[in-house]
Amino acid sequence: MKLHRRAVLLSVTALMTSASLLTAGAAQTAGDPIRKIVLATAAQAADPQEFQAAQLIAQEWRKLGLEVEVRGFPRPQLSDLVWYNRQKWDTTMWRMVGRPERSDPDELVYNLFHSSTAEKGFNFVGYVNKDYDAIAEQQRRETDPEKRKVIVAKAQTMVAQDAPYLFLVHPKNTVGYLASVIKPASVVDQGGIGIRNFWTFVGAEPAGTVKDIIANSTEALNSINPLYISGSPDNWITELVWDRLMRIGPDGLPKPYAAKSINWVDPTTLDVTLREGMKWHDGKPVTAVDVIFSFQSTMGDESPMYKPFSSNIASMEKTGADTIRFKLKEPNASFLISTIAKINLIPKHVWEPVIQGLASKPENAESYQESQPIGSGPFKVARFKLNEEIVLERNADHWQAPKMDRFILRVIPNNEAGLGMLRRGELNFLSDYRGDPKLLTDLSNQQKDIQVASTVDLGLRYVGHNLRRAPFDDQAFRQALSTVVNRNLIAAAAWNGFAVPASSMISPALPFWHQGTPPRANLDEAKAILKKAGYELVGNKLHYPAGKKETLQPE
Amino acid sequence: MRSVAIRFGQMLLVLWAVATLLFFMFRLMPGDPTLAYIDTTFTAEQQEALKRQFGLDRSILEQYLIYFGNILRGEFGTSFRVKRPVFEVIFDVLPNTLALTVVSITIAYLFGILAGAWLAWKRGSVAEAVGIPIVLTLRAAPEFWLGMVLLAIFAFGLGWFPSGGANSAGMTFNSTFDRLTSPDFLHHLVLPAATLALYLQGLPLLLMRSNMLDVLHEDYVMMARMKGLPEWRILLLHAARNALLPVVTAFALGLGASVGGNVVVETVFSWPGLGRVLVDAVASSDYPLAQGAFMFIAFILIVMNFVADLLYSVLDPRVSHG
Repeated sequence: MKLHRRAVLLSVTALMTSASLLTAGAAQTAGDPIRKIVLATAAQAADPQEFQAAQLIAQEWRKLGLEVEVRGFPRPQLSDLVWYNRQKWDTTMWRMVGRPERSDPDELVYNLFHSSTAEKGFNFVGYVNKDYDAIAEQQRRETDPEKRKVIVAKAQTMVAQDAPYLFLVHPKNTVGYLASVIKPASVVDQGGIGIRNFWTFVGAEPAGTVKDIIANSTEALNSINPLYISGSPDNWITELVWDRLMRIGPDGLPKPYAAKSINWVDPTTLDVTLREGMKWHDGKPVTAVDVIFSFQSTMGDESPMYKPFSSNIASMEKTGADTIRFKLKEPNASFLISTIAKINLIPKHVWEPVIQGLASKPENAESYQESQPIGSGPFKVARFKLNEEIVLERNADHWQAPKMDRFILRVIPNNEAGLGMLRRGELNFLSDYRGDPKLLTDLSNQQKDIQVASTVDLGLRYVGHNLRRAPFDDQAFRQALSTVVNRNLIAAAAWNGFAVPASSMISPALPFWHQGTPPRANLDEAKAILKKAGYELVGNKLHYPAGKKETLQPE
Repeated sequence: MRSVAIRFGQMLLVLWAVATLLFFMFRLMPGDPTLAYIDTTFTAEQQEALKRQFGLDRSILEQYLIYFGNILRGEFGTSFRVKRPVFEVIFDVLPNTLALTVVSITIAYLFGILAGAWLAWKRGSVAEAVGIPIVLTLRAAPEFWLGMVLLAIFAFGLGWFPSGGANSAGMTFNSTFDRLTSPDFLHHLVLPAATLALYLQGLPLLLMRSNMLDVLHEDYVMMARMKGLPEWRILLLHAARNALLPVVTAFALGLGASVGGNVVVETVFSWPGLGRVLVDAVASSDYPLAQGAFMFIAFILIVMNFVADLLYSVLDPRVSHG
């Protein structure tokens, strides 16, 4: 037995020697073989699409001579690994959801890749590039949109070049409603958000006798609180109940809402004039004092989730009965979207005593749930059970009073039941659907009054490489991993066609800012990139460039 | 009296063990509650602030002592996610849970007892050959599958019942009692209660049947037959009464366990109950809510166990605790 093994070894060595002679001694000069790579992903049960995409990616990477293991984790465990154990993973599937504030590119350009967020913030891949930092800071200060667009394009090009992320797809968001209840002409498609948005719910016109919008959420709400960012469905409610000085319009740009006008005096001075005659839901008038109080409430420690959004405010001053002057610490192009259109206006007479009462306690304003929330928005809270149902009534006194009488949000965790309810009219706006989109489009073909909208939103799926760990610290290696992946196949197979290939952190749903075209899968090109960078295939296994040692074990 | 005191002491010991286990179990689980907040704007300062706010910056022993001190004062804390007192959150959904589970367990046991007794009586007949496999199939069928089949037929297909929720959209009621007794609520209750009852009926039925088979061989049953009593009288008054005892225990325990709700049925029928609250709490590492809810369930279960024990000695004088 021993003899036999030795014979095999000898012949293998002989073969290798002759092979290396042929390739001018490449095998002797190549670095260590690359260890087994672990691609972390949400477990199949937690996210079947992501898991399948990971399998497809691993399959392509193996063609480069890599040993790849796809390892599924429950979501909390995956987050814990990626976020709090930044030295311990190789590469991971990750997702970002679409949110109105992400209509401005700043959050994605700055927070994802700026080196200041690499240690503990969202730059968990550890991308550190001084040139990129400069660009990210520059676009933040540039207030002229056309000039800023050029800088944002540069940032996207640089990220595509350096490839800290492997951009996969922008999934489509598929929702449906009953045309027999809501007039299709009154439904608004907001760029990057889809038809489930503020403008649709406020502007929806009844098509028949039903005057309730009955929408759904697949998860229970956490709270209805204007000072607590507590979840997406929670936000659908808060934005209907509390007005904001500006709102992000259907075109993705901020437009004055509770403010009549907004004027930049200079890059750090903003004048706001309030709309006249606005009232809180308890009948008291909305004043400039309330507005200043609202922003102040988010600046202290009572509203930690909102605090980063108002940190650039240096001061606020009431300059007239209905006018307020904001002074900024530094020029910021995203200020209107990420601050003025983000902070909820709250009545001082309700919240001042609450916040004063909380000042000496360990809790903050997030833990205060009003039994009757008071805002000044187009809908009023009629009653709510966070695990069951939230009922809003139209605010007839609002200057943009809704056409429908009520907005009802039901908590329906069963996706299939959601479809059945839409069919039977128990729901008339399927606003949160996480099942197979094909089922919904099929249903709309069978039943003509079901309208379906499937739109690319601001959401993104990608693979984040850990740049702290070899071989992911090498730009050429990352480029090769990106070049070999077939995004069209992944969109078609894993997302059933309900996704488009991605090439940037900024979604094509924002055509003004989006830049870049998704690379086409090309195995030969990927191999060529690796070869040029010095990587060698020995046998079927990819080795580091000459002289490079493998220092890590597969975790 | 002394035996009752001993049992009471045991009960407290078990509750302490449960509270301690829960505390360490959740903290040993991977992930922590700050993970639910991960976002592009989530800063290092926010992470620290959250940990301080949740008391997770202290040592685990310190946390345990604080937790235990609070429990002794009846304080179960505030939910991390929902930011409301734990018991407020639990009692919000408890009426729905109890309505669903108590109704279905009662139906299941009534049916199970009667059908079990009858099947024992019909031993060796066609009824048994058909009945037992049906019972076993229903018992073994996954609840979500059973629920979806009922939904597909009676809600999506025939439209007899609503497809989910505990009430129709936008209904208003003056009180919880009004709501729970309204036709609208009962209409919503039918399908989930039926699903749960179909699943639960297997245990009492099979238990009753096997007890009956034992009892039917007893001398006093033969005596009753010799007296020429009608069959239904022998079945119900002589045999069933004595076969019932273990089923009563199972019922008391089942009732205790039903407080925890049923995640599967609640999810399939979008029923706002405690089971889903619990699962959400565990998934988001909401320690106080998960601990509080499990403590509450354990407490009810232990109390029901205690009650079952006491009840048993009342029902059957042969069982006594010296």
